[in-house]
Amino acid sequence: MIAKPGLDGHDVGAKVIALALRDAGADVIYTGLRKSPEHIARVAVDEDVHAVGLSLLSGAHNDLVPETIACLRDQDAADIKVFVGGTIPASDRQALRDAGVCAIFTAEMKLADMVQRIEQELG
Amino acid sequence: MSHDQTIPDRRALSRRLSRINDAEVSAAIGGLADNTGEIASERENGTTVRIGITGSPGTGKSTLIAQLAKHRLTRGVRIGVLAIDPSSPITKGSLLGDRIRMDEVANHPGIFIRSLPSRNAHDGLSDNTADLLHAMAAHRFDEVMLETVGVGQADYAVKTLVDTVVLVMMPGSGDAIQAMKAGILETADIYVVNKSDMPGAEQSASEVESILALRLREEGRWRPLVIKTRQNDPEGIAALSEAIDRHLAWSRQRIDPLTIQRRRTRYHLQSLINRRVEEIIEGAEPALFDAPLPEIFQDMVRALAETLP
Repeated sequence: MIAKPGLDGHDVGAKVIALALRDAGADVIYTGLRKSPEHIARVAVDEDVHAVGLSLLSGAHNDLVPETIACLRDQDAADIKVFVGGTIPASDRQALRDAGVCAIFTAEMKLADMVQRIEQELG
Repeated sequence: MSHDQTIPDRRALSRRLSRINDAEVSAAIGGLADNTGEIASERENGTTVRIGITGSPGTGKSTLIAQLAKHRLTRGVRIGVLAIDPSSPITKGSLLGDRIRMDEVANHPGIFIRSLPSRNAHDGLSDNTADLLHAMAAHRFDEVMLETVGVGQADYAVKTLVDTVVLVMMPGSGDAIQAMKAGILETADIYVVNKSDMPGAEQSASEVESILALRLREEGRWRPLVIKTRQNDPEGIAALSEAIDRHLAWSRQRIDPLTIQRRRTRYHLQSLINRRVEEIIEGAEPALFDAPLPEIFQDMVRALAETLP
């Protein structure tokens, strides 16, 4: 599932990865813009996804990502893997990993590499 | 049904639906064997209403379903939405985007929305739709709305599995209207001309109405209703909801539940067998197809017999 939490309004990147994952054989749910962490977690549970990809270009990742992970936990879905993509400064990445993020993707990465990494993580 | 509107055990339901949707034929049959008690009791108490929403892509089905669900939730009922989108025949992947349009209603505790890829099904549904509907009934939903992969026609499969079929069209739906005129289009129970603020809406609605009026009306058949809807139009939605209720009430009076059950079982059986044949063919050694056809047929029959768990 690809989601864009918070107020970020640029969704081209999210759509590109959603389509790339579909072309790699995945079933992808795109939840659209401006969703709250609770909403994202609820959708992830109802759709029984294997992973959630959070796309953030707004700089709000330090709050929104851990919040989303916490909501997933609250809904008995700690097993759903979380990936993060967007503008994530190197200094912030370890904290995200500590919070439980599986992998972090940034704009310089090649699409094919991202897809491959996701496939690897999901086994 | 009188119960709390809040849907319990969402995670468990969600996982169950995944298992069912992904089940190969052998697993599906096994699951059915395990659930005969549940299915039997559904038949006895069977009050989960099934509403099918079909129509071409772009006609606004998802948004309409969201509005309709929002309206009907005010009655205190539990509503399930199963939104099916096509799987790519080449990559097997899918982009399930229907639920974006349902956000307004998605957070209500009385609604459960699930997106489903069609996988190998070619009839507008998903592989194990019949089983999914049973699972929703077992979870005590009052209503299930099934959004199909629309091909512009009220498909035979959805007509069999649901109680009321709603066909959503846009103004100027030339191809759907042509199909109706030629008698190809299976009759839906309710026709919706959506986006009725667009030019040509009145005309489309009149055309549909006149085609329906021309149809020889057999004694005792349902006379389809035509409803116009558009954005921000609570009256249109209320009219659609009321039309659905009218058809449901009419069916309850006029159609023998045993007949419906038999039709559904027939569809279910056929779909399982067709899928199993596809599974076998896809997994077969190429050399199999060098033998004379009667021999291949025998091999196929043997393979089918081995399906049973």
